[in-house]
Amino acid sequence: MPKLNIWKYLLLLWMTVVLLAAFLIRVPDIPILHETSRNLFFHVPMWFTMTVVFGAGLVFSIRYLASNNMRMDALAESATLIGILFGICGLLTGSLWARFTWGTWWTFAEPKMNLSAMAMMIYVAYFILRSAYDDPEKRAKIAAVYNIFAATTVPFLLYVIPRQLPSLHPGADGNPAFSDLTAPELRLVFYPAVIGFIGLAAWIIQLRYRYLMLRNRMDRSAAS
Amino acid sequence: MNPVYILIVTFVVFVSDTLSSAYGDSWEGVRETAEQGNVIMQAMASNNLIFVVLGVSLIIWFVLIAYLIRIEKKLEYLEQKHPKE
Repeated sequence: MPKLNIWKYLLLLWMTVVLLAAFLIRVPDIPILHETSRNLFFHVPMWFTMTVVFGAGLVFSIRYLASNNMRMDALAESATLIGILFGICGLLTGSLWARFTWGTWWTFAEPKMNLSAMAMMIYVAYFILRSAYDDPEKRAKIAAVYNIFAATTVPFLLYVIPRQLPSLHPGADGNPAFSDLTAPELRLVFYPAVIGFIGLAAWIIQLRYRYLMLRNRMDRSAAS
Repeated sequence: MNPVYILIVTFVVFVSDTLSSAYGDSWEGVRETAEQGNVIMQAMASNNLIFVVLGVSLIIWFVLIAYLIRIEKKLEYLEQKHPKE
């Protein structure tokens, strides 16, 4: 058993409790949704986490440009990768949920679905762009500038535009997603779940960052 | 007590249900057999089988944890071998 930081043990405990509560809490039986309203505790935090992680990536990219510190580039790269990971989880869980409540895996009439898929593609392009440069300094600089562009599209694609359009997805037609329609007791599990998933993302980002740093060190010691 | 021992006992309690009688050759009456068995199995079968889904999610979560800790372990080993300058 490796020696983990105390926050990682707390996170494991926290997420286990959240998972148990998500299943054991009594949810109101809403027609069409039934027990799938519990998906609120898993599907929605994916997007919250993705947004926070992409936001962190933006900060790291700006800090890279301000300092030319390669560690910041590694952090930005790690955060962006894990952000995409959570975004893909959000798309997949959303698609499964839609199959049983809207009756389709995917619909091009649904703005939130398509625009979030578009945001994913913008971020995938970040890695394609990175792969186009061999010089690490150049790659870091171009990637950081691109990441600033990519991050500015997220609030519009995921939050601003979908709210202006008619849609089956909660949070359309000018309403916030969490309206009075949502049973208040769901928030008791929802917000802890968001915190837990953000913590989990931070852990995975840290692992990826440590791997990148380690690879650099090993490459350098192999070269010398 | 040794956590491994506790895990083994819990596992035995769970599988002993299957090994005693419900190990059938046919698929008929799955719904009925799901509600038979010891107290744990009856609880698992209640509430439209939602606890089965909970069990599945917990298995995924614990396997994920185990994997993350394994990566931690490997990284820690390599980081000690290649310390920061």
